[in-house]
Amino acid sequence: MAEIAITVTHVGWRATFTDLGRRNAEISGVPTGGAADQHSAAVANILVGNPRDAVLIEAIGDLAFVAPVATLVAVTGAPASVTVDSAPVDQWTTLVVPAGRELAVTGAHGALRSYVAIGGELAAPRFLGSAAPDPRMGFKQEIKPDQTLALRCPSAIAGLSEKTQIPFCFDVPRLEFPGGPWFIDVVRAAEVDRVPGIEQLLSDATYTVKPQSDHVGVRLAGPVRHPPGPEIVSHGVPIGAIEIPHADDELIVLGRYRTLTAGYPIVGIVAKTDLALVGQLACNTPVRFRWIERAQAVERAVQHEAALAALERSVANAFDAVVKLNGWWW
Amino acid sequence: MTTTSAESEAQIEEYGDCAVMITIRSADAELRRRRIVEVRDAFAAARPPGVTDLVSGLESLLVEYDPLLTAPDQLRHSLSLLGRVAATSERPARRIFDLPVVFDAQTGPDLEAVANELKLTVDQVVDMLTANELTIVLLAAAMAPMMSGVRLPAPVARQAQPRTNVPAGSIMIAGANAIIQPFPGPTGWRVVGRTPLTIVDITQDPPVSFAAGDVIRLRAVSPAEAAAMGGLLKEEKHG
Repeated sequence: MAEIAITVTHVGWRATFTDLGRRNAEISGVPTGGAADQHSAAVANILVGNPRDAVLIEAIGDLAFVAPVATLVAVTGAPASVTVDSAPVDQWTTLVVPAGRELAVTGAHGALRSYVAIGGELAAPRFLGSAAPDPRMGFKQEIKPDQTLALRCPSAIAGLSEKTQIPFCFDVPRLEFPGGPWFIDVVRAAEVDRVPGIEQLLSDATYTVKPQSDHVGVRLAGPVRHPPGPEIVSHGVPIGAIEIPHADDELIVLGRYRTLTAGYPIVGIVAKTDLALVGQLACNTPVRFRWIERAQAVERAVQHEAALAALERSVANAFDAVVKLNGWWW
Repeated sequence: MTTTSAESEAQIEEYGDCAVMITIRSADAELRRRRIVEVRDAFAAARPPGVTDLVSGLESLLVEYDPLLTAPDQLRHSLSLLGRVAATSERPARRIFDLPVVFDAQTGPDLEAVANELKLTVDQVVDMLTANELTIVLLAAAMAPMMSGVRLPAPVARQAQPRTNVPAGSIMIAGANAIIQPFPGPTGWRVVGRTPLTIVDITQDPPVSFAAGDVIRLRAVSPAEAAAMGGLLKEEKHG
């Protein structure tokens, strides 16, 4: 194994360490948290041969870094311009970044977050077993310009020469971001009947992402109805729960950092396979909701897992082939 | 300890594609709250396959699961089986925590208003808050200990206008519950005092010394005494 020091050369807005979140934490009052777009994060890790839940970087805005040796890198998430020393390269694929060349992600558009995975183990502080931030608890995990990131990676990767071209070509399930309204599938919650008219309204109306949105919840402007009765005792809610707060014309899609609900009705829960889209909603994006049955949502989750598992196998096979061809120890 | 009587029957409802919500069907709030704690402890101990996390509410338990590994019917089955198993005595003995608190206008900006609402003096309110043990029912946001057992003449209403930046260590009450603010931040609870001790320290493993089921006893101290105290809240060494 090689121990590598990677220099962060540019951070445009905010970059943090993250992973897929903390396990068994919500029972202690700590939200799962982790990458808002779990699909892009998992795929980035898979493409560089990492476990899906390995530490990686989540960025809003530009990011650039340089390593003194060759690294495997994958950039997923929002469409962006990715370059290696100004030469354009692709997203959603495995990149061999030669030693000393700057990998830069700029101009992200159409969605909020970029994910950058580097083959190997990124050293990062952990809280309750996870490198994901928890801002409420003061665990910020911010990555700053000029910071050095420590990476442990197989020596075989670090030793890849500048001339090495590995035409990795995988069937990658990319997250596509629509040009028009984003359609989000929602499973009905039992409480939807408590708010007369809301089910039809959510089906018909277009909502717009408000700037007050954050990692706790995405606030959407648009028509709502309020329940006639009193608030209920606060309770836990799943990620993706759609809540109708007191304010007129606003609803909230609760995110990975939500706490107990304040007693407002929960009318639906975003399907698991659409949570990645919710995690990529940028200000002013138009949103439409589509009701689906739980069985359909589970079916989509099964298909999604099959696609990720197939990618894992492809990447493992490709890396094995590269190792055999080059006589390397991986 | 456990009962299958219809009066305290636990029920499960689907809640999206990755969670179910367990509530207790009973008109008795005290029984609902007690029984849901039993259900939570049983689920936490049994760890049915596919369950990824549990989220406690005062009267509910959200069971989050992986839809590739389990489904609501299986969790319903787990719940019915757990309901028939007598509560084990494997629970660790509850621990008792002594919490020094300064109760004054500066640390407790809502103390006087709460006393007025209850038609009591501030001293009477403080006496009532420190008279008996408070039991930690669940860990709320940021691992805040949410406690039951506040014995005031009436439930305390929430703040009409939530406060935006309440200091860490603030002791807060609402309804018949008390909670301690672990980090500075907003709250709708009534702020009645503050402890000089640290409740949550993310550099420690575990970050808190307490768990649901443990007991906290509030003890009034003067600001001068509090100034000499500090450190992480730890279990009483005796008792």
